[in-house]
Amino acid sequence: MSDALVYTPEQLLSSEAAAEPLIANGVRCHGGFDVDGQYRSPRTLCRAPAIEAWQAQLSQDGHPLLEVPSRAMPPQYPNAAQAKLLLRHGVREPLVRSLTIISIVEGFGAMIRDVQVPDLGEVLVEPFAGTALAHLQSGLFEAHARDESGYRDEGGHKQMWEAARDAALENPHIPGDVLMRLMGRRGQGGRPAPLFPEIGQPLERMLGFMANVLVVEVFAEETFRWGMDILSDPDVSAAAEIAGGMVSHIQADEKPHVEYLRTALSEVSARTIKTVEGGTLPGKQVIDSLMHRILEQTTRARPADQRDDLRENLAESMRTATNPSALQDDFDALETHWAPPARTGFEAAEDAA
Amino acid sequence: MRLTRIVRSLQIGWTAARVWGMYKIPYWLKKLRGRELSESELSAIHERAAQKTLDLALGLRGVMIKMCQAVATRADIFPPEIIDKLKQCHDAVPPKGFEIVREIVESELGKSMDAVFSSFEPEAMASASLAQVHRARLVDGREVAVKVQYPDIETIIRTDLANMRRVCRVYEFFDPRPLPLLPLLVELTRHLGMELDFVREADCADRVRELFVDDPQVKIPVIHREWSTRRVLTMELVGGIKITEKRKIEAVGLVPAEVLQNLMYIYVRMILAAGFFQADPHPGNLFVSPKGQIVVLDFGLSKELPEGFGLGLFELMFSLMTFNESAMVRAFEELGFRSKTGDTTTFVAIARRMVNRSDTGAFEGELTEDMTDELFEAIREDPVAEVPSDFVLVARVFSLLSGIAHSLGSRANILQAMSGGGPAPGPES
Ligand SMILES: Nc1ncnc2c1ncn2[C@@H]1O[C@H](COP(=O)(O)OP(=O)(O)OP(=O)(O)O)[C@@H](O)[C@H]1O
Ligand SMILES: [Fe+2]
Ligand SMILES: [Fe+2]
Ligand SMILES: [Mg+2]
Repeated sequence: MSDALVYTPEQLLSSEAAAEPLIANGVRCHGGFDVDGQYRSPRTLCRAPAIEAWQAQLSQDGHPLLEVPSRAMPPQYPNAAQAKLLLRHGVREPLVRSLTIISIVEGFGAMIRDVQVPDLGEVLVEPFAGTALAHLQSGLFEAHARDESGYRDEGGHKQMWEAARDAALENPHIPGDVLMRLMGRRGQGGRPAPLFPEIGQPLERMLGFMANVLVVEVFAEETFRWGMDILSDPDVSAAAEIAGGMVSHIQADEKPHVEYLRTALSEVSARTIKTVEGGTLPGKQVIDSLMHRILEQTTRARPADQRDDLRENLAESMRTATNPSALQDDFDALETHWAPPARTGFEAAEDAA
Repeated sequence: MRLTRIVRSLQIGWTAARVWGMYKIPYWLKKLRGRELSESELSAIHERAAQKTLDLALGLRGVMIKMCQAVATRADIFPPEIIDKLKQCHDAVPPKGFEIVREIVESELGKSMDAVFSSFEPEAMASASLAQVHRARLVDGREVAVKVQYPDIETIIRTDLANMRRVCRVYEFFDPRPLPLLPLLVELTRHLGMELDFVREADCADRVRELFVDDPQVKIPVIHREWSTRRVLTMELVGGIKITEKRKIEAVGLVPAEVLQNLMYIYVRMILAAGFFQADPHPGNLFVSPKGQIVVLDFGLSKELPEGFGLGLFELMFSLMTFNESAMVRAFEELGFRSKTGDTTTFVAIARRMVNRSDTGAFEGELTEDMTDELFEAIREDPVAEVPSDFVLVARVFSLLSGIAHSLGSRANILQAMSGGGPAPGPES
């Protein structure tokens, strides 16, 4: 099957039989363990070899695979050392808040199944049968959605993060401001202005959404490192092995997400897009511009905003410690500085435009 | 007091019997002759029945108006003849005369009208279940809307509630599997009591305005506290297009789907994130400005949810939208639903039913019109011992919003609203 390029949705959604299911803090989750006790991600029986085959085909046709620069990855705040310091002083709220927000954001990944896919035959000049692009709506988006928020009687990443949180921090109280942080500030500018008004907007919206999710998925690597560092530290975690393991399972599950998204976007890059007025545009120009805009947004204003937003709250939480001001000093001493890289790596399109 | 109560009960009973007869008698006659009622015959009956009900509601006021408002919002359930008649209850109940209004305003404010207002329209601009609203101008020149409580409304409502309590008992006696209505009624009594206090209403308006202080797409009228009392509320005059007027909304260049998404975001943010919300989104209480701003009025029925309840609701809605049955079961329990058997099988069945219903393939994270109805139907058929009363009010809000969605011919994407919005409304560029 490893060379096949065409799959049914059922195939892309199918899982290997597990010897043992994954039960996280009492909640049945997706995936499971094989006879050797090795974790197996869900819905990868065909999806994993399929993605490999599409990538091989792309490279055989002489096209590169798009790369999201990991140095652009903004760090978590508070960082792992700071979070552990707080936990050792009995200040749990900031970490509980962060983990809860992470779990919900993972769950929102399910929105990918709502993305409208235009008739690609109408908007692409070259054929695209046997590509990731051709399978977005027939299995790939749905598999992704199910991985993130669970499906039917199985939990997904949302529930796995919750389980890691509840196991490590012993079913903590969830701060009441979590949802306000998520919904509180809606995009004031509204929908971003189209970068390419000359192409169909359903296409630009779909590609923009996918590029955005790809960046989020790649940057999540930093979150996994951070999460494992904290949750698998027996000094601060009540269930170091379980909670740390859970994060590593989530991390394993994300691999196909990153891979199918960068494959599909690269496939567009390798093709020509028809404009609404009958002209054409190199796919690479569109994809690079979208990537550039998203990387700029996610690495520039956003991390600083989020950090400022949290600082006030942190000070508030620290007030419950025995010596708040000493704790605040120690906390600040652990601060790591981070500046976004000067370039996103996708400027070429900008300069050309 | 006792006499009014009897009179009101008799009037309700009499009208109910007549409305029932209007449908049944022609039906029996036709049956005797062996054919079905035609469209136009049925339509004429709907219209007459609606007129009778409306006449009664306008005569009795109070809770009857509230009920007609609720009916008139459900364009997805009731035929247009009924909706068109009863929607008058949203904002066009015949008002009291100006002399009565003047008396109330002056005695409440303790000043003559001229000392406060440089002008005061004698004709009410709108009138609903508890109050009528007049356009006026303060002596400093600011334009205001003055909401004046109907003089006898407190007594009326107290009587209605006593009546309904009795009806409830009868219903629970006859229906083998009744919905738990009595706790609902207790809740309704509490709310109406609160709605009659305009000072409390002003507090609630301030609280919601504060919540949206950074959001230019929401407008809550400012309250003039110095000219407000328990029975008179003086506030900033606001206006716009009534939220269900799809054509007018389109005529100013707005997209109804975006207006709806904006509205949904506002309610999701109030209910789930803030745990404090205006709980009466019927079309009389919501306007859209030509720029797409949503104007929210009437904070009489506002509700504070217990801590954690918003997150529980979020989990319930989220699990439904993502087809996750087991998460839905946990959310039911977290919210305080209790089954008669004490185990979770009931909730598993309800969750499966709801998810089956939403996971139809064409589903895009919207709250389909009858989802809340479906939930109550499921609760009714399976033995759920306890539905948290806060949940009932929230469900009512979503059912009102579904009605508005229906009028606008759009569906809102709740997942998107829960993630912080969705497309900002504004003229299509
Ligand atoms: N500030 C205002 N500016 C303009 N119009 C207003 C204002 N406040 C109220 N109105 C109008 O008056 C009507 C009745 O006001 P309101 O809804 O507050 O009264 P109510 O008796 O509490 O209504 P309900 O029956 O909805 O409970 C509204 O539907 C609206 O049309
Ligand atoms: Fe994930
Ligand atoms: Fe993912
Ligand atoms: Mg009103």
